[in-house]
Amino acid sequence: MKVLVAVKRVIDYNVKVRVKPDNTGVDLANVKMAMNPFCEIAVEEAVRLKEKGVATEIVVVSIGPKAAQEQIRTALALGADRGIHIETDEEVQSLQAAKLLKAVVDKEEPKLVILGKQSIDTDNNQTGQMLAALAGMPQGTFASEVVVDGDKVNVTREVDGGLVTVQLNLPAVVTTDLRLNEPRYASLPNIMKAKKKPLDTQSPADLGVDLTPRLTTLKVEAPQTRKAGIKVGSVEELVDKLKNEAKVI
Amino acid sequence: MTAKTPEEIIQALRERVPSGKVLTDPDDLQTYGKDWTKVYEPNPLAIVLPKTTEEVQAIVLFANEHGIGLVPSGGRTGLSAGAVAANGEIVVAFDAMNKVLDFNANDRTVVCQAGVVTQQLQQFAEEQGLFYPVDFASSGSSQLGGNLSTNAGGIKVIRYGMSRDWVAGLTVVTGKGDILELNKDLEKNNSGYDLRHLFIGAEGTLGFITEATMKLTRQPMDLRVLVLGLADITNTMDVLKAFQEKLDLTAYEFFSHQAMNHVRAHSDIQPPFDTEAPFYALLEFEALSEQQVDDAMAAFELCVEEGWVLDGVISQSETQAKNLWQLRERVSESIAPRTPYKNDISVVVSKVPGFLKEIDAVVSEHYPDFEIIWFGHIGDGNVHLNILKPEDMDKEDFFRKCEKVNKWVFEIVERHRGSISAEHGVGMIKKPYLGYTRSEAEIGYLKAIKQVFDPNGIMNPGKLLDV
Repeated sequence: MKVLVAVKRVIDYNVKVRVKPDNTGVDLANVKMAMNPFCEIAVEEAVRLKEKGVATEIVVVSIGPKAAQEQIRTALALGADRGIHIETDEEVQSLQAAKLLKAVVDKEEPKLVILGKQSIDTDNNQTGQMLAALAGMPQGTFASEVVVDGDKVNVTREVDGGLVTVQLNLPAVVTTDLRLNEPRYASLPNIMKAKKKPLDTQSPADLGVDLTPRLTTLKVEAPQTRKAGIKVGSVEELVDKLKNEAKVI
Repeated sequence: MTAKTPEEIIQALRERVPSGKVLTDPDDLQTYGKDWTKVYEPNPLAIVLPKTTEEVQAIVLFANEHGIGLVPSGGRTGLSAGAVAANGEIVVAFDAMNKVLDFNANDRTVVCQAGVVTQQLQQFAEEQGLFYPVDFASSGSSQLGGNLSTNAGGIKVIRYGMSRDWVAGLTVVTGKGDILELNKDLEKNNSGYDLRHLFIGAEGTLGFITEATMKLTRQPMDLRVLVLGLADITNTMDVLKAFQEKLDLTAYEFFSHQAMNHVRAHSDIQPPFDTEAPFYALLEFEALSEQQVDDAMAAFELCVEEGWVLDGVISQSETQAKNLWQLRERVSESIAPRTPYKNDISVVVSKVPGFLKEIDAVVSEHYPDFEIIWFGHIGDGNVHLNILKPEDMDKEDFFRKCEKVNKWVFEIVERHRGSISAEHGVGMIKKPYLGYTRSEAEIGYLKAIKQVFDPNGIMNPGKLLDV
């Protein structure tokens, strides 16, 4: 069966994010970018399905600027078979991303679509759910285990207070949680081979999707810096401070 | 001076350093009296924590008057017993001298007290948009004064050099009790003997470093990490050459398959790839543009074609880069439970493979049941030899056998014109072997220098040299 995996280029997890001085957004100039960690898990899961003989082809898709091809190449090095790059320098919000992916789904007709549960830049946690709704597919979100069983897939979901296992009819949408798997490294021989794998570039217009944002960002602010702690000399002092300064007791 | 009881001496010391703490609690004596070595039992008279250079001076003058030895104590992460007080010395701990005193953006220098922790300096530099490049596993606790007194190296030496290379100026208190300001932070200063460099690596035997002006540099850009599986230890040099022809490496480390097995057994870290190799190399470089990544790929291709490299990975994100480093950085802690015999030796880079093979052969011939773990900063000729105690062997018996290993290893070091201590210093543990690296005439000069700065022999007695 064919598996479609969506990956997003985001600010590297280890980079200290800086807010632009005019509060319109996050400063992206000369900032290290990488594949969204949840998307890495999605790619890994698809590759494992292929290794098990369940998946026969893995198509990886990414929406973003030209440089997003780096992340597609990484996914190809990890084991995906071909890439689709929907190139745009515009801001792409969750609904627009879901519409673009829906257009790809219509064309590719995958049995399974795997996405990260959210991207670590906007933290929306929407695209997978929206795609499932638009495509009329069942969804298994926050997956910690994915088992394909004939024309069904069993997805164990991480929910508050425990695990829920749902059975979905294929084709279906699955979004990945952290514990689903541990992604492998891209090996150098595979990175070289990935350079020769097909990568098709399209525009949002080709797919008939209008990117006009539906949401307006009013202001972006850095979180308040934490104040340094203090040492107290005695229990009495602690109680006094809690009562009179912090006013919590 | 009339003889005094220990209590009277401690009381007199308290009076001399009014603002500094003096500790005599048995727990404190244990803690401050030793470093990471477990060979000598700590037995200091007292611990004193000065706050200023002048207080250090007062302590040194006091020690001269009373004929008491002084042992400097920083982060106590040393591996050569250079900071062990086993003979009733006073320990001078720099924990209370932990301030960054000044920063000069134009000179790119920062003035630190000796007790500033390496990581604190690194973070300070980062906050200024700059970089302090000397880095090693113990940077979270090691102090600058200790780094300089042992001329600490670490994992970026191939690109950035040793601690010595980052010192613009030093304030020291000599063994005679003089305060000297050395080099005054100048970049160019050809005015005779550069005493700064005598105190760096002197292990506190000439005097104590109390302040240092450290140079900073620009932050590295996108650092990429490769881990390669090598077909044979001799290939480490071929691979190094192949990559250095195309790139400036910021690190070139190696570790054996056994070392990786220990790391993986110790902590849940995934291997870089499934292919098994006898040795692994970890390379790091700065990817200023895609060009450097392409160059690395080309070098890798060549290494595979030549049969030097079996497999390899490259980090695709900083998280991956950090995780790949774990494979190398966790070796030491993963083998610690096996009471390893450790050696920190160096030769010029080109001699490394032959040197390793010779040591390997000699140890395995005499002690076939010893497990040898190799790792180290092979790009600068520095390797760490670790021999693990067989589970069923008695500790005493193991250490006795290791004494013999010492002799063989150091004879090979001498033959290859290497050093018996690349970055751990000499302290007490390596002292008997100094002659394998330094000639008799040279040691004579070292002793003469010691005599000039510390005529009463009170500065870190029993370390580095016997006077």
